[in-house]
Amino acid sequence: MNEGLNIFDLVLGASLAVQLVLLILLLLSVVSWVIIAQRWLVLSSAKKGVLSFEQRFWSGMDLSQLYKEGSQVQQENMQIVGMENIFRAGFKEFMRLRQQGTGDGEAIMEGAQRAMRVAYSREEEKLEKHLPFLATVGSVSPYIGLFGTVIGIMNSFLGLATQAQATLQVVAPGISEALFATAIGLFAAIPAVVAYNRYSAVLDDVTSSYITFTDEFSSILHRQIHST
Amino acid sequence: MNSVFNNLIIYNGYPISIVAAVIFHIILLVVLVWMQSNNRMDRLELVQPTIVKALFIDENPQVRNQEILERQRLERIEQQRVTREEEQFRQQEDERQRLLEEQREMEEVALREQEELERQRAQEVQRERARQESITMEQQREQAEAERRRQDEEAQLQRQAAEDAALAAEAARTEFELVQSATALIQQALQQVWNRPPSARNGMRVILRIRMLPTGELLEASITQSSGDAAFDRSAENAVYSASPFTELQNLPISVFNENFRTLSLIFEPEDLLN
Repeated sequence: MNEGLNIFDLVLGASLAVQLVLLILLLLSVVSWVIIAQRWLVLSSAKKGVLSFEQRFWSGMDLSQLYKEGSQVQQENMQIVGMENIFRAGFKEFMRLRQQGTGDGEAIMEGAQRAMRVAYSREEEKLEKHLPFLATVGSVSPYIGLFGTVIGIMNSFLGLATQAQATLQVVAPGISEALFATAIGLFAAIPAVVAYNRYSAVLDDVTSSYITFTDEFSSILHRQIHST
Repeated sequence: MNSVFNNLIIYNGYPISIVAAVIFHIILLVVLVWMQSNNRMDRLELVQPTIVKALFIDENPQVRNQEILERQRLERIEQQRVTREEEQFRQQEDERQRLLEEQREMEEVALREQEELERQRAQEVQRERARQESITMEQQREQAEAERRRQDEEAQLQRQAAEDAALAAEAARTEFELVQSATALIQQALQQVWNRPPSARNGMRVILRIRMLPTGELLEASITQSSGDAAFDRSAENAVYSASPFTELQNLPISVFNENFRTLSLIFEPEDLLN
């Protein structure tokens, strides 16, 4: 103890319960960072996808031409994500109903809108996948850390009870080791909470632009039905 | 959407995320280790020693007792030497007086005989010489005897002294150990409770004389040499009072206690402070 406390000595010397807590927290931290990275990739690509697709959509290109390009991309085994999926679902349904020759414009509109709604909820589901896990880690891991701390302090005071001389040197390592559990808990929680809040904001942004696009697209389809 | 990015998230980006998270944690661990190894030097200086250094029993009671014994032995030898010298001196004095007397007597006899008989002188002189010779012989024999007796006496004394010393050494060794361990225990007890005031500096020195009962209870503690700092003196006194009773002393044989621990002089002198 004279040569200064090493964190690793502390962890190795800790009681089994504290070690278990530390292990759980470390795992939570790693998994939450995996999700943070993965969500960052997905959400940023979704944001970029919204921008690029809106640009293409409003560039005055023929809608069937746009649909064909998407089909080509799909044939090259590439995924089509986000707004383009909604467009494709709505457009496909619209064309199909129109070819079946049901004269009722409202029914066609309704079918296209339904298809778009389904595609939208699928996309939303993809985007918010795993986000609840981040929220859970953010709110729970401080408690797990506190649990480890309480156990550790309890142990160190139990050890103190058997000592004749109650010096600070006797309790200090135990308490330090116990507080290390709280530190790790916070270390896991803080990035998770920050990422959750940030990603929720991005998610809201993206989904609201999806909804706006859906409305705009259905108004375009509506115009097409009533113009012919 | 460019194809590289699309490929990255082809499995929804899981592989790369896992790699990134693991690398992130490994880097954090390495940084932590590095900081620890850098911090260690600073921390070493801040660690306070758990024990209070430099608090000693003034004079080791055992050593003090041995000194007293040694002094007593020397005194005894001195005394013996003095008495022996006096004895010798007296003997020599007696001898001289007797010789003087004899000479006087001899002179008287010679005078009378001179007056009395002239013709018997030669014979007389002869006889006288023989007598004187015998007297000197007698004298020599007496001296030799005295010498022998003295030598005998001395040898016996020496033998006895050697025996005494061997016995005392045997007793002293066990006693020495007892005293040593008891002083160490007292010292430890005091070190644990001695709470130095902020005004304490290295090199301060207060000497306390304490008197104890065989049960280890403290009778009184008095400052024999103050450090000049009242708080420091008081801290030493408090340490002695709170460390007492020294129950370890109950196990000592009463003779050992009486000789060594009735009064004890304690020096309180910090030498481990940072300032």
